[in-house]
Amino acid sequence: MIGKGFYQTLASPWLWGVLAVAACLPLVLNSYHLHLLTLALVYVALASAWNIVGGMAGQISLAHSLFIGTGAMLSTALLLKFGINMWAGLVIAAAISGALGAMIAWIDFRFQLGHLSFVLITLAFAEMGAIIVEGWEFLGGASGLLLPRDTGDLLAFQFGGGHGAFWVMLGLAAIIVLVNVAILNAPLGYYLRTIRDNEKAAQAIGVNVLRHKITAMTISAVLTSIVGTCYVRYLTFADPYLLATPTITIEIVLFATVGGLGRPFGPALGALLLVPLGEVLRGQLGGAVPGLHYFIYGVVVIVVILATPRGLLPLAERAWRGLRRRGPEPRPASVS
Amino acid sequence: MALLEVDNISKRFGGLLALNDVSFSVEKGEILGIIGPNGAGKTTLFSVISGFAPPSSGEVRFDGQRITGISPDRLTRRGLVRSFQLVQTFADMTTLEVVTTAALTRRPIREAIDYAAAVLTRVGLGGKLDETPATLSLQDKKLLEVAKCVATDPQCILLDEVMAGLTMAETEAPMQIIRELNQSGVTIVMVEHVMPVIMRMATRMVVINFGEKIGEGTPDEIIKDQRVIDAYFGEHLDA
Ligand SMILES: Nc1ncnc2c1ncn2[C@@H]1O[C@H](COP(=O)(O)OP(=O)(O)OP(=O)(O)O)[C@@H](O)[C@H]1O
Ligand SMILES: [Mg+2]
Repeated sequence: MIGKGFYQTLASPWLWGVLAVAACLPLVLNSYHLHLLTLALVYVALASAWNIVGGMAGQISLAHSLFIGTGAMLSTALLLKFGINMWAGLVIAAAISGALGAMIAWIDFRFQLGHLSFVLITLAFAEMGAIIVEGWEFLGGASGLLLPRDTGDLLAFQFGGGHGAFWVMLGLAAIIVLVNVAILNAPLGYYLRTIRDNEKAAQAIGVNVLRHKITAMTISAVLTSIVGTCYVRYLTFADPYLLATPTITIEIVLFATVGGLGRPFGPALGALLLVPLGEVLRGQLGGAVPGLHYFIYGVVVIVVILATPRGLLPLAERAWRGLRRRGPEPRPASVS
Repeated sequence: MALLEVDNISKRFGGLLALNDVSFSVEKGEILGIIGPNGAGKTTLFSVISGFAPPSSGEVRFDGQRITGISPDRLTRRGLVRSFQLVQTFADMTTLEVVTTAALTRRPIREAIDYAAAVLTRVGLGGKLDETPATLSLQDKKLLEVAKCVATDPQCILLDEVMAGLTMAETEAPMQIIRELNQSGVTIVMVEHVMPVIMRMATRMVVINFGEKIGEGTPDEIIKDQRVIDAYFGEHLDA
């Protein structure tokens, strides 16, 4: 059972208003802006899925490239090598990712090496995953895999490129954010937060630490894998260096941290702000000084963390409350 | 019938024998007081009973069943809960959220939230539901320790110095809460340095010194026991 907060969010006109307006954006945006927004939504989905284990449970996982990679590379390989429908591939990859996530959480618990152990163990698994993907021809090896053209055949997991991909990512991102809200208001959310804040005290009040860590990691891994499959369909090219190396996880952690860890809308906010910023910077500066956009990213992150250690969301919430108190009663479904 | 039985428990930390062959039992419904000088091994005893520290030898039984080796969270769900002498804080949760988590031990979420608010109100933290435990005063943190235990709906509570650092007047409220809890059927084991408090509350007492049990009996018997006077009160006079 889930607490009232979840149903209040579900019933909020703001949620549906924002989604409705967002769903209309493909009709007015040019294809470059639509691409930026689609990319931002991919990262909203990824950062929000990561938030379940990294934010709420406070377990900084660097393993998530493994789940993105499984979702992307494995489903693509199954289609290309065995002709397995990509919908089935999505489910198979998600199941494998979930099992991997559960196994990693269990191993971390069994061989506790101190405070850093989770970060190090998850990073080790991610690196192993990258080596396996790059070295195994079945998964595309170092050169990657190319998906067939997207003709918009829904049954073949094709969404017709630009508009379709945007809507898919919007829906997926919204679902994953709502999963965050649901978990936060469910017993699991309480367990995870006590584990994050004080593992020993959590145990003393009856919280089964291992079980809930495994649950969080499994849910996070399954959702991340599903995003991976949808993302590779959008990209058409399954690039192991983009999708299966820990760099992508670092980006996710960064977006989530800047937005606000552990809060259901925090990672989404971080991704929505930083992904377009990063892309624009890369477009403007990438040619001149490769990697400069990463540097600027870094500066932005440091400034934000110093200014508001809990991320941008608490700041935005305060501003929002101030606005609502001062301004006239907001009209539902009108979004500025 | 004995609810909790401690049988020949020893606990070694490297070369230090923190507990040496300690045995006693706690009857259902009683308030057992445990006293002893600083470093006697009282907190270690609680850690062993509650599953946080494995004993070097001996066993603990709860409700007739051996519980040695069972994890603390399972023991809490079975009805044996402890508080911490070193009050535990939570960096990014409210007191209501923390106590709600404790209440989830036996209640569905919506009921748990209401019950947690009621428990916090009962211990006197009703006005601080939305505060972070870290910002509470020491007295309030101690009350939160009690609230967390109570919210798990235990059969038996181990309270470790929840009144340390309080003035005599401030001890009245927690004493009243503990009495009410006991009257509602909860068995209580409490470690306390505040002698007037423990003398008035306890139905029976166990005295520990240097990891050994040196006395057991009603408060009246304990106060007259020469071994206890020498070991316990004697040390305080020396200091
Ligand atoms: N984890 C540990 N490792 C090593 N020694 C420990 C550990 N915990 C406790 N001790 C030692 O065991 C002895 C008993 O400590 P304990 O905390 O149980 O005493 P106590 O009776 O609760 O004292 P106080 O009245 O000060 O709370 C002390 O000498 C202490 O230093
Ligand atoms: Mg102690």
